[in-house]
Amino acid sequence: MFRLNLKIALRNLWKNKGYTAINIGGLAIALSAFIMVVMYVGFETTFDHHIPNHNRIYLVGRSLPEGKTNYTPASLAPSMKAAFPEIENVGRSKKTGFEFAFSTDEGRIYGKNVLSVDYEMAKMFHLRPDGGLKKPAAEGFDLYVPQEFADVLFPRKNLTYPRLVTLGPRNAGQSANIQGIINYRTDHSNLKFDAMVISNDVAANQDPNALNYQTYIEVKAGADVAQLEHKIDGLFKKEMIKNGMSAGDKMISGRSVIFLDPLDNLHLKPVAGNNTNYKIVLALGILGLLVLVIACINFTNLTIAQTNRRAKEVGVKKVLGAYRMNLIFQFLIEILMQCLLALVIGLALSELLLPYFNGLFETSLSLWKGNGALFWQLPGILIVITLISGVYPALVLSGFRPADVLKGNLQTSYKTLWLRNALLVIQFSVAIVFIAGLLIVSTQLKYMKTEDTGFKPAQVVSIQNTVWFKRDNFEQLKAKVNGIPGVNAFTVATIVPDGSKAQKNNYSFEGKEQGLDIIHVDFDYFETLHLKLKEGRFFSKRFNTDTLNSIVLNESAVAAYGMSNPVGKTIRGCDMDYRIVGVVRDVKAQGFETAVEPTVYAIKNPCGNLSEKSMLMVNIDQAKMAAVLASLKTNWKDWNQLDGDDFRYEFLDELYGRLFKKQEQLQSVFYGAAVLTIFIAVLGLFAFSAFSTNSRRKEIAVRKILGATDVQVLRLLNSFFIWVVLTANLIGWPIAYIVATRWLDTFAYRIDVPLLPFLLAGLISMVLTVLTVSIQAEKAVKANPVDALKYE
Amino acid sequence: MIELKNIEKYYANKGVKSYILRHVTTSIKQGEFISIMGPSGAGKSTLLNILGMLEEPTYGAYEFMGEDVVSLNERKRIELYRNHIGFVFQAYHLIDEMTVAENIEAPLLYKKVSGPERKSRVADVLDRFNMVAKKDLFPNQLSGGQQQLVGIARALVAQPSIILADEPTGNLQSPQALQIMELFKKLNEEENITIIQVTHSEVNAAYGSRILHLLDGVIKEDLAVPQGV
Repeated sequence: MFRLNLKIALRNLWKNKGYTAINIGGLAIALSAFIMVVMYVGFETTFDHHIPNHNRIYLVGRSLPEGKTNYTPASLAPSMKAAFPEIENVGRSKKTGFEFAFSTDEGRIYGKNVLSVDYEMAKMFHLRPDGGLKKPAAEGFDLYVPQEFADVLFPRKNLTYPRLVTLGPRNAGQSANIQGIINYRTDHSNLKFDAMVISNDVAANQDPNALNYQTYIEVKAGADVAQLEHKIDGLFKKEMIKNGMSAGDKMISGRSVIFLDPLDNLHLKPVAGNNTNYKIVLALGILGLLVLVIACINFTNLTIAQTNRRAKEVGVKKVLGAYRMNLIFQFLIEILMQCLLALVIGLALSELLLPYFNGLFETSLSLWKGNGALFWQLPGILIVITLISGVYPALVLSGFRPADVLKGNLQTSYKTLWLRNALLVIQFSVAIVFIAGLLIVSTQLKYMKTEDTGFKPAQVVSIQNTVWFKRDNFEQLKAKVNGIPGVNAFTVATIVPDGSKAQKNNYSFEGKEQGLDIIHVDFDYFETLHLKLKEGRFFSKRFNTDTLNSIVLNESAVAAYGMSNPVGKTIRGCDMDYRIVGVVRDVKAQGFETAVEPTVYAIKNPCGNLSEKSMLMVNIDQAKMAAVLASLKTNWKDWNQLDGDDFRYEFLDELYGRLFKKQEQLQSVFYGAAVLTIFIAVLGLFAFSAFSTNSRRKEIAVRKILGATDVQVLRLLNSFFIWVVLTANLIGWPIAYIVATRWLDTFAYRIDVPLLPFLLAGLISMVLTVLTVSIQAEKAVKANPVDALKYE
Repeated sequence: MIELKNIEKYYANKGVKSYILRHVTTSIKQGEFISIMGPSGAGKSTLLNILGMLEEPTYGAYEFMGEDVVSLNERKRIELYRNHIGFVFQAYHLIDEMTVAENIEAPLLYKKVSGPERKSRVADVLDRFNMVAKKDLFPNQLSGGQQQLVGIARALVAQPSIILADEPTGNLQSPQALQIMELFKKLNEEENITIIQVTHSEVNAAYGSRILHLLDGVIKEDLAVPQGV
């Protein structure tokens, strides 16, 4: 019997190829979206789960008056370990904070993220260099690099370690031993590093009170974490007071300072940091689930729309002696088969789409690698979608009374069930929100790309460099670079306008003190970046004082002090008086989300090491770009004697363009979601209109016999759906408006919510509706009325 | 075999009862061949549906093989379908997605007849109806008469004690209709299968042993057919 039913099912599906394809295809597309979401959510929620005790590891953080931070003093770890027996293990990590060149005679590679950790920490996080974790020598440290590094540094394979490498610029003469290879999935861990330094005590010979360590603790099973948090808070405050802080200091008084942040939460919603990841996971999860459930319900509707064809079979089988359970089971199996096929197609689609998905979300998800979880989730998904989409049709179909259907003239009633109408409205509302959203995001993105930023990043090349330039040795380099034909301008500064945060200092003007961004620059900085002068002048070699005490303010700084005619006046900061020589127009160096900070530019830098100039920028004629870069590359070693090992550069417009990455990502997400939701909504509409047209065939036939024209009948069939879509628009627009306004509010420089996206969304939904319904209706309209009215 | 006592069927609409059947009382014995006749709307099909337990009477008692079926639950009723009742329809109602052989086999599947026996019984019936060559065709590849033959074969294969036929020849041309009627007669005489058919045709009714004339839901006449016409 099972085999026979299977055969019937296949013959049935084959006979209605069109419906079957739409039904299975729609479900498959929703499933592939859902599978990718499941994989993404699975990936995002299992960070560091390879550590057996991941749920007992906590990061110790501090809350400051103005926010929260994960940085703690080095001394906290040992004192916690000594004081509290419920702590099993403590470990600290410390970022290097700047690029490290590793070089051998064979090759050179730059470690952008070198992390130092305690040996205990390495144990806690199961950091396993090839050949196992070894305890470093008492005072020493062990350096490990990933395989990619070793491939560059030691192209000959099968080497034994340790091996000597040079650190930093080669002529600086520092070297260290690489102890081995460490391959760690940093993309799936909260520990981000390329090279790793393991020592017994990362804080050896360092200031124990420096607040630049991340401290992790592993508590014993069953420990009371809230209690422990309280105790650590007490200990921390006591130590701070012992080190000379007053008990009433706002850094420690009046609140609980220490918090314990579970490792499991660190990736998605860290206490110190933002929970964007969590929001993305949540939003995608909801979207995926919504799309899948709606697709299942559409599947149900499409299946029911075809009931007429199956009713006779049900009636006959019942009088042949089939129990209702037999029939329910038969239909469920049939739907299970379709769902299985949809799942297989969905998997294939996911495999095709994953590269794009990975590109968009910067993940490395794969159906095959490291996804054991997926293979027990899939049967679960299959059963759930079969039940959601199958139970209702199975009940409806198996419920036909033979006496009704065997009379040979079944008319399923044309009922406008409010639930089904509501579902259709919801589907279209969701689609409209995404269409309007996509158009609004795109408009803002276009605005950001075309709006004046205050500088011109095109033609500017930023040269990577890790040494600081003093005025005189920069002048030597500059003379050589400017000698290349095609170089328009060359300069050095503390930061490049790529979103980097500038240093902040307090400056006072006529008694008013104000925190300002200070960017230390050199001659030709403004010319290199094509900044626009508002009044006064830019720095020039013609004025000897420019290297001593001249300063340029931006418009925001002028506004912050409420200055009038600032040029020529004096402003004080970093223990010296500056003379204002010019005012520059605001530069949106931080992108469009934050307002331009009040900023000052000066050549003289008395404000300490952090304000040293090392970022080289050169403005090159577009036509001679390649030649200039080639010339720089050949000569760089000779010209930049301190750090000339490699000529590495990036184009400033690309660097600046990365600030829009988040918005571009959002645009892509909206694009995908809009296409998906429109598709699903149209599918739902297709199912619904198929159903209603089918059940109104008789009515249409009668109307035609009574003299209705084709157009009148089409209008009759369309009118209901146009109302549905109008309602959906009325619901979708305000939602889209509210969401768009909230999103645009995160920008300091933004468009007003435009009207066009809403109208377009309405138009698109309307056109799609009329098309979908009319394609369905056309069949009924063109059909000969006699066929519909025949008794048999 | 069948006892109907005072069967009534009506639909109540806004307090007005419209009767389909009134005071139908009759008894049918094993081996009878009954034709139900009457004009359109007389309640013929409803009576047959009630006999076939596809519809329930509004009022009255119905005993099938000594069992009161009005109070029967669905499971018991389906047991009766499986073991005792075969249906034949005017529109044949073969399942379009099944071949001839599969259509005939279907009732046996529900009766849980073993595989080999199913095969042999289907082969038997095909042989008897001279349809072996057509066993792998689908219904839409057959003529109407052939389809009805398959319909009867399907009703017979489960070896029912009664066949209920609703205008079995209504869609057929006369030569094919005669063939079907001959077949019914033969089944009735040789295998002692009770047959109840609804028909418009005097000719068809003449094949039976008894005619029930219905008019406006009431049995007007209950005639025995003189044999040997």
